[in-house]
Amino acid sequence: MPTSNSNSSNVKIRQPSLSLSKQEDLLNVQTSYYFKPEDMKLTDKQKFQKLIWDPEHKQFLGRNATSWSKICLFYLVFYGMLAALVAICMWVFFQTLDPRIPKWQMDSSIIGTNPGLGFRPMPTADNAESTLIWFEGSNKTNFNKWVNNLSAFLDKYYTPGKTEKGTASIRKCSYNQPPKRGQVCDFDVRLWGECSPDKFFNYHRNAPCIFLKLNRIYGWVPEYYNDIHDLPENMPDDLKKHIASVKPEERNTIWISCEGENPADIEYLGPISYHPQVQGFPGYYYPYENSEGYLSPLVAVQFLRPVSGIVINIECKAWAKNIKHSRADRTGSVHFELLID
Amino acid sequence: MMQESNGVLELDDLSPEHGRSDSYRVATVPSSYDDNKTADGRAKSRRKNTKKARKADDLDDLKQELDIDYHKISPEELYQRFQTHPENGLSHAKAKENLERDGPNALTPPRTTPEWVKFCKNLFGGFALLLWIGAILCFTAYSILASTVEEPSDDNLYLGIVLAAVVIVTGIFSYYQESKSSKIMESFKNMVPQFATVLREGEKLTLRAEDLVLGDVVEVKFGDRIPADIRIIESRGFKVDNSSLTGESEPQSRSPEFTHENPLETKNLAFFSTNAVEGTAKGVVISCGDHTVMGRIAGLASGLDTGDTPIAKEIHHFIQLITGVAVFLGVTFFVIAFILGYHWLDAVIFLIGIIVANVPEGLLATVTVCLTLTAKRMASKNCLVKNLEAVETLGSTSTICSDKTGTLTQNRMTVAHMWFDNQIIEADTTEDQSGVQYDRTSPGFQALSRIATLCNRAEFKPGQDGIPILKREVNGDASEAALLKCMELALGDVMSIRRKNKKVCEIPFNSTNKYQVSCHENEDPNDPRHILVMKGAPERILERCSSIFICGKEKVLDEEMKEAFNNAYLELGGLGERVLGFCDFLMPSDKFPLGFKFNSDDANFPIEGLRFVGLMSMIDPPRAAVPDAVAKCRSAGIKVIMVTGDHPITAKAIAKSVGIISEGNETVEDIANRLNIPVSEVNPREAKAAVLHGTDLRELSSDQLDEVLRYHTEIVFARTSPQQKLIIVEGCQRMGAIVAVTGDGVNDSPALKKADIGVAMGIAGSDVSKQAADMILLDDNFASIVTGVEEGRLIFDNLKKSIAYTLTSNIPEISPFLAFILCDIPLPLGTVTILCIDLGTDMVPAISLAYEEAEADIMKRPPRNPYDDKLVNSRLISMAYGQIGMIQAAAGFFVYFVIMAENGFLPMMLFGIRKQWDSKAVNDLTDSYGQEWTYRDRKTLEYTCHTAFFVSIVVVQWADLIICKTRRNSIVHQGMRNWALNFGLIFETALAAFLSYTPGMDKGLRMFPLKFVWWLPALPFMLSIFIYDETRRFYLRRNPGGWLEQETYY
Repeated sequence: MPTSNSNSSNVKIRQPSLSLSKQEDLLNVQTSYYFKPEDMKLTDKQKFQKLIWDPEHKQFLGRNATSWSKICLFYLVFYGMLAALVAICMWVFFQTLDPRIPKWQMDSSIIGTNPGLGFRPMPTADNAESTLIWFEGSNKTNFNKWVNNLSAFLDKYYTPGKTEKGTASIRKCSYNQPPKRGQVCDFDVRLWGECSPDKFFNYHRNAPCIFLKLNRIYGWVPEYYNDIHDLPENMPDDLKKHIASVKPEERNTIWISCEGENPADIEYLGPISYHPQVQGFPGYYYPYENSEGYLSPLVAVQFLRPVSGIVINIECKAWAKNIKHSRADRTGSVHFELLID
Repeated sequence: MMQESNGVLELDDLSPEHGRSDSYRVATVPSSYDDNKTADGRAKSRRKNTKKARKADDLDDLKQELDIDYHKISPEELYQRFQTHPENGLSHAKAKENLERDGPNALTPPRTTPEWVKFCKNLFGGFALLLWIGAILCFTAYSILASTVEEPSDDNLYLGIVLAAVVIVTGIFSYYQESKSSKIMESFKNMVPQFATVLREGEKLTLRAEDLVLGDVVEVKFGDRIPADIRIIESRGFKVDNSSLTGESEPQSRSPEFTHENPLETKNLAFFSTNAVEGTAKGVVISCGDHTVMGRIAGLASGLDTGDTPIAKEIHHFIQLITGVAVFLGVTFFVIAFILGYHWLDAVIFLIGIIVANVPEGLLATVTVCLTLTAKRMASKNCLVKNLEAVETLGSTSTICSDKTGTLTQNRMTVAHMWFDNQIIEADTTEDQSGVQYDRTSPGFQALSRIATLCNRAEFKPGQDGIPILKREVNGDASEAALLKCMELALGDVMSIRRKNKKVCEIPFNSTNKYQVSCHENEDPNDPRHILVMKGAPERILERCSSIFICGKEKVLDEEMKEAFNNAYLELGGLGERVLGFCDFLMPSDKFPLGFKFNSDDANFPIEGLRFVGLMSMIDPPRAAVPDAVAKCRSAGIKVIMVTGDHPITAKAIAKSVGIISEGNETVEDIANRLNIPVSEVNPREAKAAVLHGTDLRELSSDQLDEVLRYHTEIVFARTSPQQKLIIVEGCQRMGAIVAVTGDGVNDSPALKKADIGVAMGIAGSDVSKQAADMILLDDNFASIVTGVEEGRLIFDNLKKSIAYTLTSNIPEISPFLAFILCDIPLPLGTVTILCIDLGTDMVPAISLAYEEAEADIMKRPPRNPYDDKLVNSRLISMAYGQIGMIQAAAGFFVYFVIMAENGFLPMMLFGIRKQWDSKAVNDLTDSYGQEWTYRDRKTLEYTCHTAFFVSIVVVQWADLIICKTRRNSIVHQGMRNWALNFGLIFETALAAFLSYTPGMDKGLRMFPLKFVWWLPALPFMLSIFIYDETRRFYLRRNPGGWLEQETYY
């Protein structure tokens, strides 16, 4: 180093930074690095075997029993403490949660305020990627699969309060009598008319009923299209006519419309009938507040004369001012295919 | 006697057991003169082996010592062999024929790897292969999806493109870094063409040296570079500097006489690319280009296979480790996925995820950047690194084999001691004249300096006024130059003193007299007496003296004074110095009046009965910084071995003065001397130091050499040939040492190439040595090596830290995939976010660790053990994967569960939900609060979780970065002064925020803005990482060598 030179340059042999004996020790460390002659004789295979099990030192994978137990104990304690930390964090976190009210709701939650639609019957779990309802009306075992699927889903509508064991306060509601806080509305299954399990939901007659429901979003309140002069342009004319035909007090409804996706699909699909008679979800079911025994309102859509042997793409939409439709995202709408053999 | 300069006592006179007659010995004695070569130097029998065997053969051939007979045959036979003529030279036709046959007289440049091969190595080496597999799997998955599904998601396509881009970009980056450092060499290429004066058909021609052919008669004069290996046929005071070939620092005379069997020792050969320093000569070219001695050594150097650098081995080991883990996990989970009944395409996607998560994509680039930063830092300290990986090698070095001349020493003779007035005075030999000063007024010194000034033919070359005296170039003999410089320093303007004392007569040095004498007029105009001044071999000078000048008085030279002289002479000689005796005589003016005709041929003046004045001794002194540097190396546990072509006594003296042989350590011979017993009776283990002569080395088997290297800590090898230097280096490496070789000469270049790191001198070094070296000391200062060692060790430590930091985040990257497969939960962390960590947020902090200061004095610990102390060892993996990584993963999962729960999906709900979660058909998935989620909303939630998991990794990496700053010390002790690292902390946070909050990121990278509170759940884990590791290091310091250190100190 240049600086140290100028300071000490008149000393012939500069003071070493460590004593000579210490230097000697350090130099001797090297000798211990050098290959040990006995190791050099071993073949690769022998070395590998020695690594797995060294009988001389009783070592398995380079550790003896004590060493293994020590390291295992260490990791046991370490992971034990880590688990405890996670548990404490989880416990503290759960203290901030309410079991019935989501922490974040509507726009502050990721679920947002734009519900989607769901349909029943759905293909079974082993075929979860599919949205195709495919049955043979003439084959009872074939369509029974769908009928049973639907019946299972509708079970709670036929026997309300069953799952909640009577703790729910269920009452009959109407447009004029919305539920009070803590109350939930029942659903009159008779409104589905033709679409009942007794009639196999008309699957045997190749006029299947598909049930639609609107996704529940905690606290979401719809803004109804209840003014017949203020309906969106892209709303199907049938629906517009239907709204006009409905009693004004019943117009506080989220309207439902189903169509074939393409002109060809529309043609193949044929006439559609909706049950209940008011074609949509009555407004008194909203907002959803995770009350006991709450039942989502359902609309049964019956395709009266769909052409058989062809896959028909069907899109159903829910109509409210605060529902936006996006076919790609499946918001405000649902898509399924129908194939009748 | 091999070489005589003016009246110099040869050192070997003092060491009869190492006579010089066979000193420049080589490994094989030319027993038969049939060298399997034709007259033109080509092999008689053509080998018809395969190319590889041929190459090995050639290399073995080069490892053999030179074996020729051109120096032994008579000149006539020589002319006949080459069909040449001493006066006329070759005919043009013959010259043309020879040129066509042998090719140009130039060294074949070393083979270089084609650029595209280098590029491909970067593109497919390391982790690149694994990533390519990942990318190909991505493309395959995409194309299969695209051909089966109507609206395939482009995820796999993008991921494949990103992976391919990562590989290509990092490949280009490291290729660029590599080529940048290899370009350094081009600046060293000596582009000045060499010319030679040649006789052809009786005409003198000036040709380019490349056009010389065998048999050409060339003329060389002082200042020229010898254009080829030549046999001298005529000479006038011709001397060559063979130092770059043999390491001998003194110029050697060359004449037509055949004096030695060994071609390197005989006087009638001069070798390609050595320099002529004095006189002129004429010679016949006997070998050209690659067949020259120099060419053979260069060929040996470039033909040597050098292994990977230690850091390359470490990185290779580490890549193997990580690749092994990646492949193991990948295949295991591929199989598990099948067993669990996943579709094979899903299994492939898992495989991609596991590969991406396992491979630290940015790490190799980080390592390259760290090495580049260190290389730059070293370049600013005058260590130029040719190969980036060599940056670290000095740090691992456990043995340095250093050449003496020009590396440890200044490569110029300097007056070291004077003896006058019956005492030894030390002269200043330091480069900057900062050493001891002596009394310049005593009459003894006055008389001595007058002789040294006047009886001296050396002169400074003109035009060097601004240059310090010691660095000026001198025309003349090395020892005369030393005297000239010494006198110039002591007296001022030597030339004006010489002018005042006009030289009237001179008998130059010759080998029979061994003295030089000149007569001068007295500068004192009142004193008409002539002065006779004489210098030469001390004992010859003393013979001619009858009196001695002591303390201003002339005394009779009695036995007592002779005894004093002898003691001084032996002492100086024992220091390895070249000693000259000085005497003078004032001639009586009556016998020798002004204008007296002195006759130099037949001395008509007294040359006996003179007055002895004193002795001066010279040595090529060590560079000022070397002793300190050697001591530092030794403190750092590095063995410094001197390997020189010079004589044992000089070598030992220099070794002692620079501390290679430390005070109080004795060689076997020293012990024998002290105990007065024969050398053979001394137990060699008792002697820590050893001085080995090249001849002795030849006798040793490799086992015996191992023993010498193993049991002596302080070793000097003297009179070694280039091949022996190579053997020594190989011996050290055989025992497992990582060897650095420093050297400047061509003779060092094979050893430089073979060494783990060759260090060449930038100023004095020959081109061949620079070509062979990995590192170049721009200031020729051995002390720069210490800087190199320090930087190398620091970067090794810091790379460990950097890798520990980077690898830690692998666990929180892999574990989401494993949980995804095993627990069927929605994916907590996506591949894109993994890439954002590996190539984004982790990069700058990892690089910033390269700027970290050393924790303790890294120069006071032994070099790392290359077998045990790996860059990435099981302790590091245990720490990074087993401990810190696990805490990080816990943090990530906690954040994931928090966000899921706050949005409606309580943790228990998530297990087993994966299939429906990922199904586009399910548009109404129910959560724990009865809410129903569309596919799109679920995915938004999932990607928000990815973002939050990513952010939580960034948060816990804050703590990881701070704990990685130190491996043993507390952060309180280390401080936060590393501003690059502090910037890294801020940078990664800012980048994470940028990725999360920038509009549009949801489309591009699927990163969603987070609520501020979602940054917080990782904090307790961050704190626990910090506290855990501080505690761990506290116990580490409290119990050095304890169990915790054995298991967790990486």
